[in-house]
Amino acid sequence: MKAASQSRTGFWLPDSESTPAASSQSEAMVEVRRVSKSFHKTVKSQTTELKALADVSLSIRPNEFISIIGPSGCGKTTLLKMIDGLIPFDSGEILINRKKVSGPGPDRAVVFQTFALLPWRTVLANVEFSLELRQIPKEQRAATAREYLKRVGLEDFEHHYPHELSGGMQQRAGLARALAVNPLILLMDEPFGSVDAQTRQLLQEDLLALWQREQKTVIFITHSMDEAVYLADRVVVMTPRPGRVAEILEVPLKRPRDAEGVRRDPVFVDLTNYIWARLKKAMESQS
Amino acid sequence: MKTQAGANALSILVFAALWEVAGRTLDSTLIPPLSQIAQTWLRLLMSGKLLANLALSLWTLAAGFLLAVVLGVTIGVLMGWFRHVEHFLDLYINALMSAPMTAFVPVLILWLGLGVESRIAVVFLFAFFVIVINTLTGVKQVDRIWVEMARSFGAKERDVFFKIVLPAAMPAIMAGIHLGMGRAVKGMVTAEMLLTLTGVGGMIMQYGSAFATDALFAVILTILVLAMATMRLVRAVDRRLTGWKAEVAVE
Repeated sequence: MKAASQSRTGFWLPDSESTPAASSQSEAMVEVRRVSKSFHKTVKSQTTELKALADVSLSIRPNEFISIIGPSGCGKTTLLKMIDGLIPFDSGEILINRKKVSGPGPDRAVVFQTFALLPWRTVLANVEFSLELRQIPKEQRAATAREYLKRVGLEDFEHHYPHELSGGMQQRAGLARALAVNPLILLMDEPFGSVDAQTRQLLQEDLLALWQREQKTVIFITHSMDEAVYLADRVVVMTPRPGRVAEILEVPLKRPRDAEGVRRDPVFVDLTNYIWARLKKAMESQS
Repeated sequence: MKTQAGANALSILVFAALWEVAGRTLDSTLIPPLSQIAQTWLRLLMSGKLLANLALSLWTLAAGFLLAVVLGVTIGVLMGWFRHVEHFLDLYINALMSAPMTAFVPVLILWLGLGVESRIAVVFLFAFFVIVINTLTGVKQVDRIWVEMARSFGAKERDVFFKIVLPAAMPAIMAGIHLGMGRAVKGMVTAEMLLTLTGVGGMIMQYGSAFATDALFAVILTILVLAMATMRLVRAVDRRLTGWKAEVAVE
């Protein structure tokens, strides 16, 4: 509650939640500092304030894979949009590579939950979309788009329209579009939330393989504890109303991670159980 | 598609046969047999009278309709894109959308006289409002997630408009143009019947008052074919522009 007044002083106070590894300020790729955000809703001239995020701090290392997990209403998507520069925040600051975020930039690309592919464009033209906006010449655009379609395994589908593809393939196209601009940071907003469980697992494995090759910092929003732990180096647990960082957990599982084996690992089981307990407590105190 | 074309042909054949039989058995000037109408149609065609009037009508139709498309889409887009433009114009567009346009004919005569300008204005008024409303709705209903996606990849307002909003609204805009085309034909005939008796509408009035039913039906059938041809044209353009949509729609 005191976050707003403190942050207006302009001082940055190191917060207790940062892990030792991330506390070195210059190393951070993404630095979220005491960010707060409220939405105002006016119904019949009565304005109610909804606190979406309160005093959120987070420091992310280059090439780190971070999962953010939390129940609906914990502001995780809001946080992601703020890191992307799509929506402003009330107080605090967000730095990417030590530069303040003031809007979307070429260093970040988003993968959307609902894919957000344009139905009037072919798969190839959808991937080219992000390159088009950056004024890249036509031939180079097509070549780059094809290259990334190949990396996500869609090279044979470039002339298809999105509706002709399965959900999993559509999200591969969404991923190719984001990768094509070669961002430093990949912002993924529950990207596998709308595909079936089997496809989801395959996409997770492919994403990890891609991430290990491409050297990207990934911020991955999810509802799934299993997914969060399987993918990430660290899991950020958030609690709702207002959204706060409850805990940041290291995932001490070796990479590359074998999709089946790692899930039987006691460390994996303990971690997911612990996260569930943590979330449950937060949700019970809500209701 | 093929079965529909076959059904159409069969339906026309059956209907024409019934008409022919009815015309011959009733033996009345009120319902001339189809064969007689066809002969009259051929005579009107050969004399050049039908073609001359048809050309006059088509010119009015094309001018009024194109004007309605250009202005209708432009104003619809402005209303959909800028909220204050919508608030400012909403009242008029909605009031005029359902108003009977024939009521404005006397005003148009006073303002523009009895020439082709008035007829073009009638065609325009018939087609304009439905195009505005459809365009407006289409632009407003563009999925926010596409706009957000474009912004996140660095799209400027211009990019958002030309690369997202316009193509996304195109099916709705084309639906408006489709409806507008039908209304434009009605406007054309109305203008020719109520203003100066010219074009195919004028021919209807002329033959109707002279009880020349075979010529009357010949002209009416010509107008029906014309209306269908113009709709076909719009649909062909539509399929070109929004072919992706036809496939998305689950019917």
